[in-house]
Amino acid sequence: MTDDAHMELGDPTLATRASTTGQASVGQKTVLKTPDAAAPIGPYSQGIKVGNLIFVAGEKGVDVRTGKVVSGGIGAETRQTLENVKAILEQGGATLDDAVAATVHMTDLGEFESMNEVFAEYFRKDPPGRTTVQVTALPGGARVEITVIAVASV
Amino acid sequence: MINLRRTFLRQLSAAAAVPLAILGLGADHVRAATRQAGGQPRKRVLRSSRLAPPIGPFSQGIRTGNTVYVAGLTGIDVNTGKIVTGGIVPETRQALENIKALLAEAGGTLDDAVSSVVHMTDLSEFQQMNQVYAEYFPTAPPGRTTVQVSAIPAGARVEITVVAVVA
Repeated sequence: MTDDAHMELGDPTLATRASTTGQASVGQKTVLKTPDAAAPIGPYSQGIKVGNLIFVAGEKGVDVRTGKVVSGGIGAETRQTLENVKAILEQGGATLDDAVAATVHMTDLGEFESMNEVFAEYFRKDPPGRTTVQVTALPGGARVEITVIAVASV
Repeated sequence: MINLRRTFLRQLSAAAAVPLAILGLGADHVRAATRQAGGQPRKRVLRSSRLAPPIGPFSQGIRTGNTVYVAGLTGIDVNTGKIVTGGIVPETRQALENIKALLAEAGGTLDDAVSSVVHMTDLSEFQQMNQVYAEYFPTAPPGRTTVQVSAIPAGARVEITVVAVVA
């Protein structure tokens, strides 16, 4: 089997091996990988680009330097989360302005307004459509997790 | 052989992109890049006066190309700005009416929905939600994900997020 044949089948070992170079293409997909956002804490990619669509993984307020969720509560976590989303989008040639959809999972909707204040700083113009819900827990003890879909210009 | 041809086509399209990249760095070109072929903006904010304004810093919906990403909508009545009373059935109905109004801004209908996520605060109301949902998606309903969450903003019982592909 050639490497191309592996790609046709979406061979995960190929994706893992190639992703050490930063970006790997598997079939129509390009795996986005950046050291400027927290490493995945499971078998998933930080982001996937297909055509000019970018699907960013659900990001949390993990500080890439410590590998832990930042302290300081919902404001600090939302900020770090969006910095992580931004870094992954940049890896795909996009910015937060290119976001078309966002899903916000929170552990306490009593913090909705505090989250919104930081969210608004990062999406000043034409913000994405958004879905927000409260869930009972998030991995890593996070208080917020944000999932973004963006459309890059290229 | 097919793989070789595919590789060749990839290289060909990559080669064609290079001169475009060299040319396309000025501000005008950046602006042009936010538009797709046919002059449509790459990202267009959809607004409907038949919906209550968003309760946070987000858009009611975004159209990009033929795809419409509708925000998660709840059973808020535009006339009162509040969630309709009467429980899961009227709330589901109002949420879907809101989605329908938003899709209309993009020239679409609920028939164009391809994907949907339903967040509910009580899955024991699943069948009641389904009964109303089925009325609104009588044919070729979208793929759907349904989960129970512990709370939804503004005290809603249901929030529905739709992605649609319009003509």
